[in-house]
Amino acid sequence: MQKKRKSVFPGGVHPTDGSDKALSKDAAIKQYLLDTVTILSEQSFGGKCRLLVKPGDKVKAGQLIGEPEAFMAAPLHASMSGTVLDVKEVMNQGRAILACVIGRDEEEAEGSGAGQTGIAAAYRKEAADIRQISREEILAGLRDGGLTGMGGAGFPTHKKYETDKSIDTLLINGAECEPYLTCDYRLMLEEGYALLNGVRLLLKGSGAKQAYVCLEDNKPQAAENLNEILSGMRKSGVMEDGEQIEIAVLPTKYPEGGERQLIQAVTGREVPMGGLPADVGVIVSNVATARAAADMILGGLPLIRRIVTVTGCVKEPGNYLVPVGTSAKELVELAGGVTVEKNRIIAGGPMTGPCMASDWNGEDELFYITKNTSGILVLPDSACEEQPCIRCGGCESVCPAGLTPWQIDFAFQQEDYDLCEKLYASECIACGCCSYICPAKRELTLRTRMARDAVKQRMRERAVKKA
Amino acid sequence: MSQAGTMTKPARVINGPHVRTERTTRWVMLHVAISLVPALLGAVYFFGIRALYLTALSVAVCVLTEYLWQKLTKKQLTAGDFSAVVTGMLLAFNMPVTAPAWVVVATSIFSILFVKQMFGGIGNNFANPALMGRLLAMVVWPGAVMQYIAPVTLNADAVSSATVLGAVKTGGEAGYSYLQMFLGEVPGALGETSKLLLLVGFAYMCYMGIVNAEAALTYIATVLVLTFVFGPAGLFTGDILLNLFGGGLIMGACYMLTDYAFVTRRGRLLYAVTAGIITAAIRIFSIYPEGICFGILTANCLAGGLSLLNKRHIYGTKKSER
Repeated sequence: MQKKRKSVFPGGVHPTDGSDKALSKDAAIKQYLLDTVTILSEQSFGGKCRLLVKPGDKVKAGQLIGEPEAFMAAPLHASMSGTVLDVKEVMNQGRAILACVIGRDEEEAEGSGAGQTGIAAAYRKEAADIRQISREEILAGLRDGGLTGMGGAGFPTHKKYETDKSIDTLLINGAECEPYLTCDYRLMLEEGYALLNGVRLLLKGSGAKQAYVCLEDNKPQAAENLNEILSGMRKSGVMEDGEQIEIAVLPTKYPEGGERQLIQAVTGREVPMGGLPADVGVIVSNVATARAAADMILGGLPLIRRIVTVTGCVKEPGNYLVPVGTSAKELVELAGGVTVEKNRIIAGGPMTGPCMASDWNGEDELFYITKNTSGILVLPDSACEEQPCIRCGGCESVCPAGLTPWQIDFAFQQEDYDLCEKLYASECIACGCCSYICPAKRELTLRTRMARDAVKQRMRERAVKKA
Repeated sequence: MSQAGTMTKPARVINGPHVRTERTTRWVMLHVAISLVPALLGAVYFFGIRALYLTALSVAVCVLTEYLWQKLTKKQLTAGDFSAVVTGMLLAFNMPVTAPAWVVVATSIFSILFVKQMFGGIGNNFANPALMGRLLAMVVWPGAVMQYIAPVTLNADAVSSATVLGAVKTGGEAGYSYLQMFLGEVPGALGETSKLLLLVGFAYMCYMGIVNAEAALTYIATVLVLTFVFGPAGLFTGDILLNLFGGGLIMGACYMLTDYAFVTRRGRLLYAVTAGIITAAIRIFSIYPEGICFGILTANCLAGGLSLLNKRHIYGTKKSER
């Protein structure tokens, strides 16, 4: 049986009792192709692409429509076959971003393009033979397929794997520690073969000795399913000797799936300040990214679709496989619409996801699915007033980075950035634990994050001055 | 085509995380107040209904003072968060049943106004307001607040008598059994006589996850070890049970020390040990039998300095094992 691991990252919280995930965890993945998609040219913050299409162009699903213009960008592809209807600016979190609107051609059957037809499906049912695929081919596939991290900030995947540091451990992140979200869980249950074939590719691409697929112990079926598939794959004879893959079950604790915390929990290593996981020989990729790697390298399908959990106060919470660029509004409609009038709409999970709208009437556009949108969460809106800090120390005891958020909060409000820096504000991971636990309802996460950004800005300015 | 339509923006800025614990300051303080109810009932049982009157008076004055101050200075109104209720209860618990009402009123106003609000209100007070109130009363009206009487349950005349620790300190006999001390059938301040009921309340707070018992236990252990080792008749002659049950040690440890004045774990233990050493030193060397008040208040004042000794591990500062 699977050996359980002890959690070795300090702090953390248990924000919910599990009833949140129960809303959508048994809902099988449903595939949808709506009439239009609106693909943002900036899929994640700072990941700007130059659009290559103009209105009237015919595009095929998977066709390159955007070239990276920034370090954080990955190639962008049409997520549906059809006609470019418009190239226009849309507002996303207060910023105008150029987007490409594609209308589905009438004759395009439902299920084409971003759907699963047309892809050689063998790798979704059995261990793929990847012996003929070289590391270079894998890295090229990650790049050309426009792969990005699908669980967090959306960092281009190929940039992680093209590191010149020596990597010994690959962590595939299926922790899904954010409450409510179940897209990764469904993926691990329903697409285990594609996922594990993807892990094998990423393992080869990373040059690591060992891969761990990490999940929390609140997903026993997923762990069982993956273990079963893995042992079947081992017996199939196509797996190479070097392919060391293990399913690691970790205790359920938020933020177990935070990149730095996951590394600490599994390997005992700490990513040095200002460093990257590669500095300690680790690469972390989301399970959905692993699956996308298999889709691209074994199926020829770039990253143009993803699973999105639509949950919270909606009539029928569920998990939907949709093209990138799908309207969140239409997805909520597919899930039966919102059930509370005083609501807030969150992109992603409740701990780190930004609030995209409040008191949403069900008619205005919300936002468009990007490569790293893991969910649309509708929660009842509740206002709470900030009270004075009572020095209970709760925020300190839950901070996984070991910070003292209440002190940083005071320092930041007094604009004492020297003190913020001394208090290591730069190391905040914005996980939300401090705000979650605070009995005085202080906006600790918000201000610690702002302090972090201010401190990092100062550090950069100093570095420029020195140089 | 549904590409038209404007994007909605949140009507106001809403910051994550979008799930927050249901615990609020008010919730915490309310449960601290609830945990004090058994001791309050005990005080009424042992000293009569005047115990309730004094407590109610103290609570009312504390809350009203806080409310008026915040209204007059146009500060954020937090008088409803039960923290003033807790201060009021603790203040009354430190008074004997014979304390004049005006002394209770004066100390309540002093505690809330000068110790709590003028330093910035809840969380910003440098010391426990109730203890500072007690200190004030001890210094200014010693006659009024150091006159203890025997519990009414003993059917004794309401003559003033010393507390158990006080009697022993001046060379007398304790006069009460350990069991009586534990149950609360001894002369003393309202709330601190019944160790049993205080511990019931403290257990409730621990169960609700409001306090961490570490600091309280460390403080008690420190005091008991030191007073045992440096006993009145030479090394290792201290009376552990007398020190534990005879005075206000349990009250101080459970409710005064753990007042939210200190934050980190290691810091809290250091703080508890400091308070314990001072308390024990006063019990051993000074004319005061208790030392709780001075010990904890001194530690309160040292808290800032103690926190400098408390190094936290910041993620990313560890040398890689690789």
